[in-house]
Amino acid sequence: MFFHITLERNMQLHPRHFGPHLRDKLVAKLMKDVEGTCSGRHGFVVAITGVEDIGKGLIREGTGFVTFPVKYQAVVFRPFKGEILEAVVTMVNKMGFFAEAGPVQIFVSNHLIPDDMEFQSGDMPNYTTSDGSVKIQKDSEVRLKIIGTRVDATEIFCIGTIKDDFLGVINDPGVTA
Amino acid sequence: MSGEEEENAAELKIGDEFLKAKCLMNCEVARILDHKYDQLQQMSADPTNQISQVFEKSMQYVKRFSNYKNTDAVRQAREVLSRYKLAEFEVWPFFRLKFPRHLVTFNHINVHLQLCVLGNLCPDTVEEAIAIVPSIKSKGRKLEDDAIEKMLHDLSLIKKFE
Repeated sequence: MFFHITLERNMQLHPRHFGPHLRDKLVAKLMKDVEGTCSGRHGFVVAITGVEDIGKGLIREGTGFVTFPVKYQAVVFRPFKGEILEAVVTMVNKMGFFAEAGPVQIFVSNHLIPDDMEFQSGDMPNYTTSDGSVKIQKDSEVRLKIIGTRVDATEIFCIGTIKDDFLGVINDPGVTA
Repeated sequence: MSGEEEENAAELKIGDEFLKAKCLMNCEVARILDHKYDQLQQMSADPTNQISQVFEKSMQYVKRFSNYKNTDAVRQAREVLSRYKLAEFEVWPFFRLKFPRHLVTFNHINVHLQLCVLGNLCPDTVEEAIAIVPSIKSKGRKLEDDAIEKMLHDLSLIKKFE
């Protein structure tokens, strides 16, 4: 789920940047440091939309660096346990399939795929129902529910299920609308 | 790094920021990211080496899964969903007393989220809406089935006449 939130960060700036464009340099550094990163707390920072406030800079003892507390707004993507969302399948194997929803990867184990779907190996490995009516393969769109999240140093990884009501394939790339 | 709290890899700590955050539908995010991409294009000749993988993947995702393509439709959709007064009460003060942070899950957090999930998934029937967002029946201001039906109908009209 995407959110628009206000975050705070202490930015350190080298004295060489002090001058009439101090604020611009600070904002540029903020964007470079923060955009594209991920933390367990906020999720993935997709884009910074604006800087709300830059506080008074504090000179650090011993070095000439100055620390500025910056308050800014950003669009973040943060998956939550229990959330239902749509994702694109990226890989299928006999353990289950991987899907991507924006920057996050979600794994759906074969235990959480409905029992009537069987794994078919081959050029395009897929899960298909016994009558062939529903197929999950690479690039299929599926609606899944996140049942767990795990945080690494730089990313969030989720596990999901399609075994509940109203979950599963949304559209099949092999079938024309 | 100064200013960052320690992150615990084993449990996901939910920041306070989320309880006051505004959640966005995919179509709204698509507009924001488009705007940002245009800004980047204006500022430098080659925007592609400036955008992170996270940005690119998010942009592709929201464009693929946007239900409403034009600005007016997006605004109308949000207005329809807000009109049905899905509960927007603040839950944090309550939870601070009762739950350790890491146990707060999606259904608890912010009932304002119902709006975005419904906008993103566009359920066809009342039954589906209740299955994907159970809290519209269980928390805050409960919606009657008729109200849900009417709301879904309004949403589909917006899509039709977009």
